[in-house]
Amino acid sequence: MDPAPARSTGVNEAIVEPGVALGVTTEEAESFEALYRRTFPRVYAYAASLVRERAAAEDVTALAFERAYRKRNRFRPARGTREAWLFGIARNAALDELRKRKRRASLEAEPEDLATPDFDGHVDSALRRATVRAALAQLDARERELVALKFMAGLSNAEIARVLGISESNAGTKLHRTVNKLREACDERA
Amino acid sequence: MNERELALAVAAEAPAPDPDFARQLDERVERGFPRDSRAARLTLARARAASTLRRRPPLAALGAVASVLIALVVAVSLIGGESTTRQADIPGASTADRQSSGAIELDSPADGAIANPAPAQPPAAAKRRAEALNAGLATQPAITRPNPNASTALGDDSTQLATPAPPPSRPGFAPGTRDRRIERSATLTLAAPDERLDKVAADIATVTDRYRGFVLSSSLATGDEGATTGGNFELRIPAARLDAALADLAKLGQVRSQTTAGQDVTAAFVTAGDRLEAAQAERASLLTRLENATTDSAATSLRLQLGANAGEINRLKSRIAALRIRTNYATVAVALQSTDADAATSSSSDDGLSGALDDAANSLSSALELSIRTLGVAIPLALIAAAIAFATRAIRRRRREAALR
Repeated sequence: MDPAPARSTGVNEAIVEPGVALGVTTEEAESFEALYRRTFPRVYAYAASLVRERAAAEDVTALAFERAYRKRNRFRPARGTREAWLFGIARNAALDELRKRKRRASLEAEPEDLATPDFDGHVDSALRRATVRAALAQLDARERELVALKFMAGLSNAEIARVLGISESNAGTKLHRTVNKLREACDERA
Repeated sequence: MNERELALAVAAEAPAPDPDFARQLDERVERGFPRDSRAARLTLARARAASTLRRRPPLAALGAVASVLIALVVAVSLIGGESTTRQADIPGASTADRQSSGAIELDSPADGAIANPAPAQPPAAAKRRAEALNAGLATQPAITRPNPNASTALGDDSTQLATPAPPPSRPGFAPGTRDRRIERSATLTLAAPDERLDKVAADIATVTDRYRGFVLSSSLATGDEGATTGGNFELRIPAARLDAALADLAKLGQVRSQTTAGQDVTAAFVTAGDRLEAAQAERASLLTRLENATTDSAATSLRLQLGANAGEINRLKSRIAALRIRTNYATVAVALQSTDADAATSSSSDDGLSGALDDAANSLSSALELSIRTLGVAIPLALIAAAIAFATRAIRRRRREAALR
């Protein structure tokens, strides 16, 4: 049994939930339900970051998992990990949803606030999150997608490249630029 | 803010799914995403198709269909033109085919005889046959029994011994006549080894004699060494015993072809009989008038008429006698051939290991030819389909990506 592909250290380890057992189950042996349990919150977060509307995000998430379920026998491990495959499906569903609802204009308008409410009450934390939220708003759609795939979905650069249909080096370069831009935006606001 | 802090901050911004939605999706996953009812799916598919058509014409699909149609038309035209050219390029092919199929010319009703038994005829052929009967041109059902091993591609001697043609047809039909007068004929091609040809020739005469028939003519061909190489026989056999005689003749050698035919001459027979009766009545009348003649000139005139009448009566009697002979005796034409000549002619290509190898090579060549032709059509079609699929995929991807701009 081959272990799951190694992820980039640091960032992913910080955002992937502790219960996600990377390398515990093989890609081939993992059942669809296990894949769903492991990826559902991240797929939803990624879809929500793209469509920026709760109802649409739910539709896209449900549609993505249903498509993946119907096509689960078509998955080929040689072409990438199951997560990359699943997020590719989710991306297509989200883009179809965007096109269908002609949300191009609304994407540039004020999006619905999908962020998780801050219940801890700490001022520092609230300020930091407001800063990050404002910095994210300055990114364009493609950059926001990169950030969502990296920090919300927890994908590796190779998986991101697979999802976007670009090379891994290109994905790394774009991600590096986007993170720098996001950090600069955060620093400016801080 | 370092990268780790930034990652944690962005991850904290990740929208969380609504618990109700999560529960509903959990249930759907556990149930394996049950499909909607068929009617609902059909309605949804129709709505989607209508929406798609309203939004944009399916140019890619139309282009694909047009390309496939064009390719099909080109392929069909190429295949059709190729087959025509092949037939035109080989003018002797049909002749060769006839030679190799064996006794084909016997199957063709060149003399008006119908080659196949009546039950095997299609309705149109049966109709034509009925019309021919009414026109007095038809024959009795003829039976052709070509031997599958027969071959007409013989040497010079054998060519001379080609299967004799049946007697020419004559008109004949007499409505209402019960006793039909049928002139029967048969052809038989026998083959035997060189050393048995003399015995078979003698046996043909013996069999003919056994059935109270007679040999009208016979000819034997001899080779360079004086040995018999074949022969032709014209036999007359009582029509009632024709079938039995043919069965015995067929036992004398290898039957390569056998044909029987019948010609209805009832009309000619009845006509000759009626005219004979009329001529005889006229003769009686002339004799009565001659007895009562009072002048020499009248008596002379009546004698002249009686002379002409006698000639007519004799001619009609001869004709009736000839028709009786033709209907009482069947004409059997027997061609005797050597099997050794056939073996020498065909062994190089048709029989034995070399023949089998030739056949195998021909089959392989045909299969390769067919495969190449198929690939010649399939490869362009596959390339077109691949190009269309690639273009469709690229266009779809570009349109999806456009949603992020």
